[in-house]
Amino acid sequence: MLDGNRGPLPAIAERASVMADLFEPLFWYITAWTTAGFLLVCALLTWCCIAYRRKPGRISTPRILGSHRLELFWTVTPLLVFLTFYAWGVYVYDKAVHPPADAPEVYVIGKQWMWKAQYPNGQRVIIGGNPKNMTEEDRQNIGALVLPLNRPVKVTFISEDVIHDFGVPAFRQKIDVIPGRYVSTWYQPTKLGEFHVFCDQYCGAWHSLMVGKIKVVPAAEFDAFLEGKGGAQGSPNPVDGSLAHKGLQHFQRLECNTCHIPNAAIGTGRHARAPNLEGLYGRDVPIKGGITIRADDQYLRDAIVNPGKHIVEGWERAMPGNYGTQVSEEDLNALIAYIKWLRPGTQLGPNNNSVAPYGAPRQTPETNKSPGGKQ
Amino acid sequence: MSIVIGDTPRTAPPPPEPETPRRNYLNETSGFWSWALTVDHKRIGILYLVSITAFFLVGGIAAGLVRANLLTPNGAILTEDQYNKAFTAHGVVMLFLFLIPSIPAVFGNFLVPLMIGAKDLAFPRLNLASWYVFMIGAAFMVWGLLSGGIDTGWTLYPPYSSRYSHASVAPGVFGVFITGFSSIMTGLNIMVTVHKMRAPGMTWGRLPLFIWAMYATSFIQLLGTPVVAITLLLLLVERLAGVGIFDPSIGGDPVLYQHLFWFYSHPAVYIMIVPGMGVVSEVLTCFSRKNIFGYKAVAWSSVGIAVVGFLVWAHHMFVAGISYYSALLFSFLTMLVAVPSAIKVFNWVATLYRGSITFQAPMMFTLAFLVLFTVGGVTGMFLATMGTDIHLHDTYFVVAHFHFVMVGGMVLAYLAGIHFWWPKMTGRMYSDFWSKTSATVIFVGFFFTFVPQFVLGYHGMPRRYPNYPEEFQVYNVLSTAGASILGVGYLMPAVYLTLSLFFGPKASANPWSATGLEWQVPSPPTVFNFEYLPITVCGPYEYAIGVDQMGRGLPEPPGAGDDNPATRVGATLLPGPQPKETEVVG
Amino acid sequence: MSASTHGHGTVLKHHFDNLEQQHSAERLGMWFFLVTEVLFFTGMFVAYTVYRNWYPGEFAFASSHLLWWVAAINTGLLITSSLTMTLAIRSAQLGDKAGLIRRLLLTFALGAGFMGFKAFEYATDYHEKFVPGEMFRTEYARPLAELTADDAKRKFEGRPALTRTEVESYQFKGEYEHWSQDLAKRNYGREPATEGTVSPERVQLFLCFYYIMTGIHGVHIIVGLGCILWLVFEAYRGAIPREAYSKVEVISLYWHLVDMIWLFLMPLLYLIRSGGGQ
Repeated sequence: MLDGNRGPLPAIAERASVMADLFEPLFWYITAWTTAGFLLVCALLTWCCIAYRRKPGRISTPRILGSHRLELFWTVTPLLVFLTFYAWGVYVYDKAVHPPADAPEVYVIGKQWMWKAQYPNGQRVIIGGNPKNMTEEDRQNIGALVLPLNRPVKVTFISEDVIHDFGVPAFRQKIDVIPGRYVSTWYQPTKLGEFHVFCDQYCGAWHSLMVGKIKVVPAAEFDAFLEGKGGAQGSPNPVDGSLAHKGLQHFQRLECNTCHIPNAAIGTGRHARAPNLEGLYGRDVPIKGGITIRADDQYLRDAIVNPGKHIVEGWERAMPGNYGTQVSEEDLNALIAYIKWLRPGTQLGPNNNSVAPYGAPRQTPETNKSPGGKQ
Repeated sequence: MSIVIGDTPRTAPPPPEPETPRRNYLNETSGFWSWALTVDHKRIGILYLVSITAFFLVGGIAAGLVRANLLTPNGAILTEDQYNKAFTAHGVVMLFLFLIPSIPAVFGNFLVPLMIGAKDLAFPRLNLASWYVFMIGAAFMVWGLLSGGIDTGWTLYPPYSSRYSHASVAPGVFGVFITGFSSIMTGLNIMVTVHKMRAPGMTWGRLPLFIWAMYATSFIQLLGTPVVAITLLLLLVERLAGVGIFDPSIGGDPVLYQHLFWFYSHPAVYIMIVPGMGVVSEVLTCFSRKNIFGYKAVAWSSVGIAVVGFLVWAHHMFVAGISYYSALLFSFLTMLVAVPSAIKVFNWVATLYRGSITFQAPMMFTLAFLVLFTVGGVTGMFLATMGTDIHLHDTYFVVAHFHFVMVGGMVLAYLAGIHFWWPKMTGRMYSDFWSKTSATVIFVGFFFTFVPQFVLGYHGMPRRYPNYPEEFQVYNVLSTAGASILGVGYLMPAVYLTLSLFFGPKASANPWSATGLEWQVPSPPTVFNFEYLPITVCGPYEYAIGVDQMGRGLPEPPGAGDDNPATRVGATLLPGPQPKETEVVG
Repeated sequence: MSASTHGHGTVLKHHFDNLEQQHSAERLGMWFFLVTEVLFFTGMFVAYTVYRNWYPGEFAFASSHLLWWVAAINTGLLITSSLTMTLAIRSAQLGDKAGLIRRLLLTFALGAGFMGFKAFEYATDYHEKFVPGEMFRTEYARPLAELTADDAKRKFEGRPALTRTEVESYQFKGEYEHWSQDLAKRNYGREPATEGTVSPERVQLFLCFYYIMTGIHGVHIIVGLGCILWLVFEAYRGAIPREAYSKVEVISLYWHLVDMIWLFLMPLLYLIRSGGGQ
C-alpha cells in the first residue's frame, strides 16, 4: 500500500486482486524450477572445478565425445518443464485478458502525462499524473481510480497521443494504452486500500511522474460514490461530472469564497465576511431574532436568492441580493448539491494549492541541490 | 548410459616449437595509411577492437549517470530530460556500437580465416568498408548525442519518436541505420568465407564450435538486419516528413512498428549471445583439456537458436495489443527457443567432467559466464510465460534479465575471448594475477548490480523511471553500489592489457596449448597467416589425445607446473588410417 | 586447385587459391546480398499487405489515380534492360570488349530512361498535389469547399440540396478532373467513416507507401546504374578479360533483383482494381 515505507520490501509483494492471487503461485512455481536448475548447474560446476582441478604430474583426460541418451534427456526434460510453464501461463493469461461479461465499464484515457477516468454515469476523476501538465481545474481534481471490493470492473483504455501503459503491480496487471485503438482489461480487487498505478511504457519527459492511485473501497461506498455522494476518490473537490462538481464551478464563477472563506483560512489574517459553509447542511442555524432553522434545501435556496430573509446570528446583512438573477434553477440545484457536499476541511480557499499525487517531486526548493532545475 | 569414447590413435613425439618471426601483421607495414587502407582481416579486427572499446567507455559513462541518478527517489544528479537521454544513449551505444560488433567484428574478423586455414576473409575490401560504414554510423549517432541527445529509449517506439520527441532523434536513428549495413557486410563476409575457403580437411564436422557460432550469428545478421533497416527508414521518413505509415491519424498502426522492430531485435539478441557461446566452447575445452561433450548438439543448437529465434519476436508484445491467439503461439515458440541454450549449458558442464582444469583468466571469465548466463536464461522463462509476463513486462525484472544475458553472458564471454586470444593478437602476455582479480571483481560487482533489480521488478518498479516510490530506494542504492564495483572491474583490463603491450612478456605461438589452427601460427601471425597450406586431419578439441587439428603434438599446457616435458601426453598423429570411434556399452 | 585455371595475373586475388573458388565466392556473396535486399523490401511489403487488408477501398481509389501508363512503359524498359544485361554477360564471357561496353551502355540507357519517366511521374504527382501531408489536405479542401458553397447557395435560394447524381456529374472549375475532385464527389453528403466513403487520411497512407516504395526502389536503380558505369569503365580499361566475366555476372544478379522487385511492386501499387462501381 502507499504508505511511504522505506523499509525492506516484503518477500511476497502485496496482492490485492484476483489476478494477483492467480499470478503468485505460477511465479513461485517457475522460481522453484529455475532455482533448482540454476543450483544444479552451480553445484555441478563447483564440484567439477574442485574434483577435477589440475593435479601435479602427468595430465591424462579421457576422450569423451558425448552421449545420445544424455542429450535426449536434457533436451526433453527442460522442454517438458517449460511446457508446464506455458500451460499454466496460458491459463493465467486467459483469465487476465478476458473480462467477465457483466462487469461495468470504466473508461481511462492516458495522455502526456496524466490519467483520466470516466465512470458509467459520466463522473470523471483524474487518477494521477504530473501536476505541471494539467490545467488548474484538473489539478484541483486529482484523486484516484475508485474500484469496488470483490466486484469485477472492466476498464477500457485509449491514448490521446503516444503509447502509454497502465500498470498496477498490486493487481499484477498491465496493458499498453495505444492511440487510435481501444484496449481493455479488468480488475477484481480483493483488498481495501490504495495501490500504485505506474505508466509502464516510456512516453517522454515525465513518464515517471505519470503515476496515480487506485483506491479500493467497500462496495457500498463505491455505489455512493457513483451517486455523487462522498469523496471516495480522495480529491479535494466533488467528483467531476457530478452535480456537486457543477455546483463548485458555479461557486467559483460567482466568487462566493471571497466572503465565505473556509475554516482552513482562519488565522491567516483574512477576515471572514460571511458564515462558514463547511458542514452547514443539516445543522441548526441560529437566526437573528432568536429562532433556529434547520439548514435544508429550502433554507439554502432562500439564502442564495433572498439573503435578507434570514440573517445568521452574529453576522450583518452583507450578501448582495441579486444572485437570483445570475443563477438558473439548474444552477441552484447544483450549488445546493455542492454545499451539501461540503464537509469541514474540504473547501478550497482562494489561494490553496492542490495536493500533488504520489511520486511527484516534493516541493522543497530550498533543499533541492541538483544542478539542473526540474522543468 | 552409453558414452561415446574414442580409441587413442597411434602417435609419435611432438615437433619442436617454431621460432617467432620478427615481421608480423602488426609491424610488416607502418604508418597511418597502412592502417587506414588495410585489407588485412587481422588489422581490421584491431581497428574494431579499438573503436568498440571507446564506445564501451561512452556507454559505460551513460550507465554510470543512470545508476548515480537512481540513488535517490527523485533524481540525484540529473533532470528527467537528461536521464531519459542518458538511458537511451546507454542502450543505443552499448547495443549497436559495442555488443553487436563485439565478438563478430573483432574475433570473427581476426580468427575466422585463421581457424579454417584461409589467408583472409572472402572479401577483404568489403571488410574494410564495413569498418568505415560502422564508423560513419557511429559518427551520426555521436552527432545525435551531442546535438541534444535522443530521449526515446533504444526501442524508438512511435508515435513518441516520430512526432512527439523534441530531441535530436533523426541523426541517431540514421546512425543506427548505417551501422546495420556494417553488420550485414560482416555477416555476409563470414558466411561466404566459411562456405568457400576452408582449408583441405576442414570439413563442416571438424569446424571449431566458434566457427559454427559465427556462422549462425552471420545468418541472423544477414536476414534480420535488413528488416530493422527498413523499419528505421520508415520511422525516419515519418519524423522528417511529418507523415508516415505508423501515424494513427491517417490510419497507421504504431503496433506495426513494434512487430517490424522486434522481428529484427529479437534475433539481434541472439547476435549478442551466440558468438559468446562460441568463445565459451573454445575456452572450456582448452582449460579442461577435454573434448567438447556433444559436438553435434552444441553445433546444431547454435543453428537452432538462429532459426527459431526468428519466430518469437512478439513475446516482447504480450501486453502491447496483439491478439490472444498470437500471444499463445509466440509464447509456445519461445519455450522451444529456450531449449537449445539449455542443451549447451549442460554440454559445457559435462565437458568439465573428468577434465584437468586450471583457472587462468579466460577460464574464470568463462565459468562466470556459465553461472550468470544460466541466471539470465532461466529468468527469461518468467517473461516467456504469458501469465507472469503481464506483471513483469517493462519492469526492472526485464532489465535485470537482459543485463544478465548480455553483460553476464556476452560481455564476460567477450572478455574471456580477449584474455584467451590476446597473446595471439598482440604477441604479449598479461598479468595472471590482475586478470584473475578483475574477473572476480567484475563477477562480484555484476551480481550486486543486477540481483536487486529482480526484486525491484517483481515489486513492480517500472523501467526508464528517474523518479520512483521511496520503498524502492534501498535496492536502488544496492544496485548502484554494485555498479561502482563493476566499473572498477572494467577499468582493470584496460590498464593491465595496455601495460602488457609494452611490458608484458612475449607470448609463444601456443601459450595455452590449444588445438585450433590459429594457435599453429606465430603470435602475432604473419600477414598471410599461414606460410604453408594447413591440412586438417581431425576434429577440434582433441585434448585428450594431445594433438592439434593438423595432427601434431601439443606443447606443455600452462599451469602444469612441475610437469616433466618427457611425460606429457602431446604427440603427433602418425599417417595412415585412423581408428574409428568405438562406443562403450554399459 | 592447381595453377591450371590460373588466369590473368591481376584477376586472381591473393587470398583465393584459384579462379573457380574466387568466382564461386563472389557469386555466393552476391546471392547472400540479394537475400538481404529481399528482406529489406519485404518489410515494406508486409506493412503494405496489412494496410491493404484493412483499407481496401482507399487503396483501390488511390491506386486508380496513379499514372499507370508510365508504370507500363517503365516495366517494359526494365525488363528489356535485364535482357541487355544478360547479353552483356555473354559478351564478357566471349571476351568481346566492344560488345560488352555497348550492351552495358544500352542497359544503362534503359535504366536511365526508367528514372527519367519516374522523375516525370513524380513531377506530375507533385504538380497534382498528390502528396501525403499538408499538400494533400489543402488540395482536397478546395473542391470540398466549392461543392459545399454551391450546396449552401442552393439551400439559401430555397432549392433542395444537391442530389447524388448532380454531385457526380458536377464539373469543378479548373482544367480537368482531378483526384481531389473525385474524392470530394465520392464523399459528398456522407458521414465520415460510413459505408461508401473514401477516407482521405487513409488515401494518404497509401501515398506514403507509393512514394517510399518507389523511392527506395529508385535509389536501388541509381546504385545499379552507378555499378553499370563502373563496369563500363573497367571494361574500357581492359580489366574485364574473359576470366573476369564474373564481375559482370555479379552486377547483373543485382540488376535482375531490382527488376524483379519492380515486377512485384508495380501491380501492388498500380493495378489494384476495386470491385467495380466504387
